[in-house]
Formats: sequence, C-alpha cells, structure tokens
Amino acid sequence: MQEAAKALMLVLLSFAVLTPFASTYPDGLERVAETIGVEEPEPVWGGLMPDYTLPIIENPYASTVLAGFIGAVMVAAASFALGKTLNMKKR
Amino acid sequence: MHIPDGFLSFEITALMWIISIMFLAVAWRKAKSTYNQSLTPTLAVSSAFIFVAQMLNFPIAYGTSGHLVGGTFLAVVLGPYAAILSMTIVLLMQALFFADGGILAMGANIFNMAIIGGLSFFIFKLISGGNERGVKFYFGLSAASWLSVVLGALACGLEIGLSPVFSSAGGVAVTVPAMLFWHALIGLGEAAITTTILTQLYRLKPTVLGGLAYMRRGLHAGSS
Repeated sequence: MQEAAKALMLVLLSFAVLTPFASTYPDGLERVAETIGVEEPEPVWGGLMPDYTLPIIENPYASTVLAGFIGAVMVAAASFALGKTLNMKKR
Repeated sequence: MHIPDGFLSFEITALMWIISIMFLAVAWRKAKSTYNQSLTPTLAVSSAFIFVAQMLNFPIAYGTSGHLVGGTFLAVVLGPYAAILSMTIVLLMQALFFADGGILAMGANIFNMAIIGGLSFFIFKLISGGNERGVKFYFGLSAASWLSVVLGALACGLEIGLSPVFSSAGGVAVTVPAMLFWHALIGLGEAAITTTILTQLYRLKPTVLGGLAYMRRGLHAGSS
C-alpha cells in the first residue's frame, strides 16, 4: 500500500515535469477530421474541466497540472473501488 | 483516438454500446473469477498512470501528435480482463469531467481502446510464446502495443466512415486509410513507450507484471 502511494507520487511528479513538453498538435483522429473538412461539433456535455484545464485558474501550466492531478486521483479512487468490488463475495 | 459526440450515427452509437457492454460483462465475470486482492493497489496506480500518460501528446509528423493509449501496458500489468475494466474507468472519467471523448460515443471508445487494448494481451501471449525475456518477449510487447493502436484506429475509421458526417467525404474508403496511416506512426510511439516501461518495471520489480502470472497459469492450464 505504501509502495503504491509512492508509485502514485512518482507518476504525478513525472507528469508535472513532462506536461510543458506535451505536443499541442491535433491528434490522429482530429487530423483526419480536419483533412476531410469535418468540423468538430459542439459537445453534448462540456465537462467540468474541458480540455484538461480548471477554468478558475489562469496560469495554463498550473491549470493543466491541477486538472491532471484531480483526474488521476479520481481514476485511482474509482479503480481502487473497482478492485474492492471485484474482490467481494469470492467463492 | 477519442471520438467526440456528433461524429457517429445513431445506429453506430447504439451498436458499439451493445458490443462494448457484452464484452464488459464477460470481462467483469472473468476478472472477478481470477481476482486477487493484492492486485488492487497496482490497479489504482496503473489506471492513474494511464490517465496522465494520455494527456502527454508526443509529436509524430506533419503537425500531428499522438499519445500513449496504454491498453497493452495495462494488459501486461493487470491481465487482459482487469485491463479492460481499468481502461473503461479512464475513458469514463475523461468523458464525464474533461470532455475528452463523447458521452454518447463512449461505447465506441470503450471498444476501440479498452477492449482492443485489453485483448492485445493475447497477441503478446501468442508472439512471446510465454517467454519472459529475450527477443520474443520484446517483440511480443512491441507488436501487441503497435497492433492495439492500429486495430483501434481501424475500428474507429470504420465507425466514423459508416456515419453520415464522414460519408459525404468518401466514407470508409477515406477514413480507414487515413486513420491507419497516422496510427501506424503513433503506434511506433506506443510500442517504444510500452516496451521500455514494461521491461524496466520487470527489471526492478517483476511481480508487478501481474499479466505474466496470468499468462503462466494460462499456459499451464492449457498444457495439462
């Protein structure tokens, strides 16, 4: 458990260091849509942190890093709950 | 490769939800029957790792980027079925909170990334032939991770190409080759990152690769 917490810290730290170097070019699917001339429609649901930014934080680096941290913690918590559920009522 | 809402027709959206839910039900049952609770911390950390890794786009060529999808990574760490469930959580959070991939299109995205990604384990198993070192091991990891991205892109190209938004532009005859072209390149990044991280993890702490234990059991059961 302690080891997992350390690993999670390492993951978050590496992410914070690497994120300024992330490419902002369109990804494969976005590029295909662009080439064909298909406009990305308005999303049905915009999400609370669209494009991995916290709308209330102006600094783009801090905004992205915080959005990433929040997302990573939510994913870790949900996966932890998944593990607990998979382990229930074992034969 | 995350499909936003508005790209897929109603029929494709519904079909992909049905297919994905069927695979998820099988994955749930299989993951549950072999689940060991010691896997839970690894499950939590590896899912979180894939979430942040998917935010780190790397440039490919001609002003296009890609990012690690991580299906093969999760499959080798967690086994194929828990990997499908783990990636589904990542996609769910991305769609719910970050508007990355549509809510309606999530059925297709789960198939393209979580299910194909998790099942790429069997490509790895086939090519590695059960070897945990040497050329076959590296080649198995690289081929499975490259194919997981390319096959996901093929599925994605078919799904969008069969939907009216893209059919006026030529449909699958245009979308499939275009998706395959970019993702054959992006897949090289996927293969390099997956193979590097997994071989380093294996060197540092071999027990963390739970998928290998799964493979050993499977091979044993198959041979007896």
